[in-house]
Amino acid sequence: MKILRKTRFNGLRKAMQMSPEEIKEKIKKSELKGRGGSNFPTGEKIEMTMSREGVKKYIICNADEGEPGTFKDRFILKKNPLNVIEGMLIAARAINSEEGYIYLRGQYSYLKPNIEKAIQAAKKAMKKINITFNFHIIIGGGAYVCGDETAIIESIEGKRGNPRIKPPFPSRKGLFAMPTLVDNVETLANLPLIFTDKNWNDNWRLFCISGDVRKPGVYELPLGIPLKKAIQMARPKNKIKAIYFGCYGGCIPYDENLILDCEPIRKKGAMLASSLILVDETRNILDISAIISKFFEFESCGQCTPCREGNIRVLELLQKISLGKAKRKDLKLLEELCGVIGDTSLCGLGQSSVNHIMKEFKYFKNEFQEKLK
Amino acid sequence: MSSDEIGMIIDEVIKGPDGKPLLLPLLYKIQEKFGYISKNTAHEIAKKTKIPFSTIYGVITFYDMLYTEPKGKHIIRICNSPSCYLNNLVTLIKFLELLLNIKSGQTTKDKKISLEIVSCLGCCDKSPAMMINDQVYGNLNEHKIKKIISRLR
Ligand code: SF4
Ligand code: FES
Repeated sequence: MKILRKTRFNGLRKAMQMSPEEIKEKIKKSELKGRGGSNFPTGEKIEMTMSREGVKKYIICNADEGEPGTFKDRFILKKNPLNVIEGMLIAARAINSEEGYIYLRGQYSYLKPNIEKAIQAAKKAMKKINITFNFHIIIGGGAYVCGDETAIIESIEGKRGNPRIKPPFPSRKGLFAMPTLVDNVETLANLPLIFTDKNWNDNWRLFCISGDVRKPGVYELPLGIPLKKAIQMARPKNKIKAIYFGCYGGCIPYDENLILDCEPIRKKGAMLASSLILVDETRNILDISAIISKFFEFESCGQCTPCREGNIRVLELLQKISLGKAKRKDLKLLEELCGVIGDTSLCGLGQSSVNHIMKEFKYFKNEFQEKLK
Repeated sequence: MSSDEIGMIIDEVIKGPDGKPLLLPLLYKIQEKFGYISKNTAHEIAKKTKIPFSTIYGVITFYDMLYTEPKGKHIIRICNSPSCYLNNLVTLIKFLELLLNIKSGQTTKDKKISLEIVSCLGCCDKSPAMMINDQVYGNLNEHKIKKIISRLR
């Protein structure tokens, strides 16, 4: 796999011969996009963080991988943590930072020794290249919402992981009120490769395929291939009915002719994520819907009403439908409620928490209707 | 726990720019040592760090992996997210509850084992999965669970 190639600080060495401006340009030109779900151009984020000069700046490695069906960051941190650390150092050179935090999700605390070892190795290399950088590892508390870049900052600062209202963005006012670059593990792991590999391109992504398959796992695939090809690699147990893009990305009915890329999936109304959860024809969509809504109800941070209360009601309605006790008007209510939650929630968690239901309504409404009284 | 011990732990922990300890690592260290963080302990931390008690208690109650009450010696966290659900999870949770004779969220009478239903553990390639303390157990079935639990007891 490309992402596992060890760069052994050669990427950093190359970056050290460049000015911060040149490093940023190189990253911008590479078109690397954030792999934590946002797909935001990394170079632009670096540029924004560079703009406030003369103040202390921080880098945060977001290792709070919590999206259901996603385990690629765990995979990278286990097999190639050194590249992640090197990526942090390259980004640090660009934005002129000397301190960084790795926020590791609580459920991954067993990866801490591996990361510490990588930091030790980095310290030796840093001495030779003559740079200083302070690493800290913070173990998260098991809250999904801390994957949000402002919630992660609150959490490191020692507060409840409630997302902040943006703006200001972390690039201006982040950790301890200083400009902060928050990047995901896979994004950082790619940074050194951009400097060492002439043929690097942003198309190669890690996908986690799981669910109704015989060979779940991490697959490195280029965007643009037929979806069918990706899915067959994981050996489905039966005919696939739907694909869920984690819990937040919504779902689409499986279509053999679809292409694995952001645009075709967006056209279908869903968001291509690293997580592909495959659901086969033996399943009832309503059951999956309830499990996902339960997840959001549980993980809502409680800061704003539409997400906190709304998801409790959503879950109640879904259960009512499941039990065959709902009428047509309940279905309408559910649809309306989803609209309100999606439109008025404060952060990405709440906004995306009803994505799946809207798409289930679009593509599998009959499964809801069949259950009506 | 004595206030000296808390003081020593505070000294060890990384500080923010205001010189106060960062709460997450501090609370984890205290929990590591004493199993949970009681209200009294939280008051003690507040006194020593000058961080308001409400902040400290708010943080402990926000994060699922920090506890205000004593837990079992072993904490079983079983995943209740879609990939595990698709791999026979519901039956396994029932099986575990029966085997331990507790409901999820509870601790066995001998204080050995607590059972929690949690969100995705990031081990969906080994669904259905659970963690006991910080170790992952995947591709679970009833037989496997029985063996794992008997080793805990
Ligand atoms: S949308 Fe949900 S998770 Fe986000 S701030 Fe509001 S309550 Fe918290
Ligand atoms: S869904 Fe169970 S570990 Fe991810």
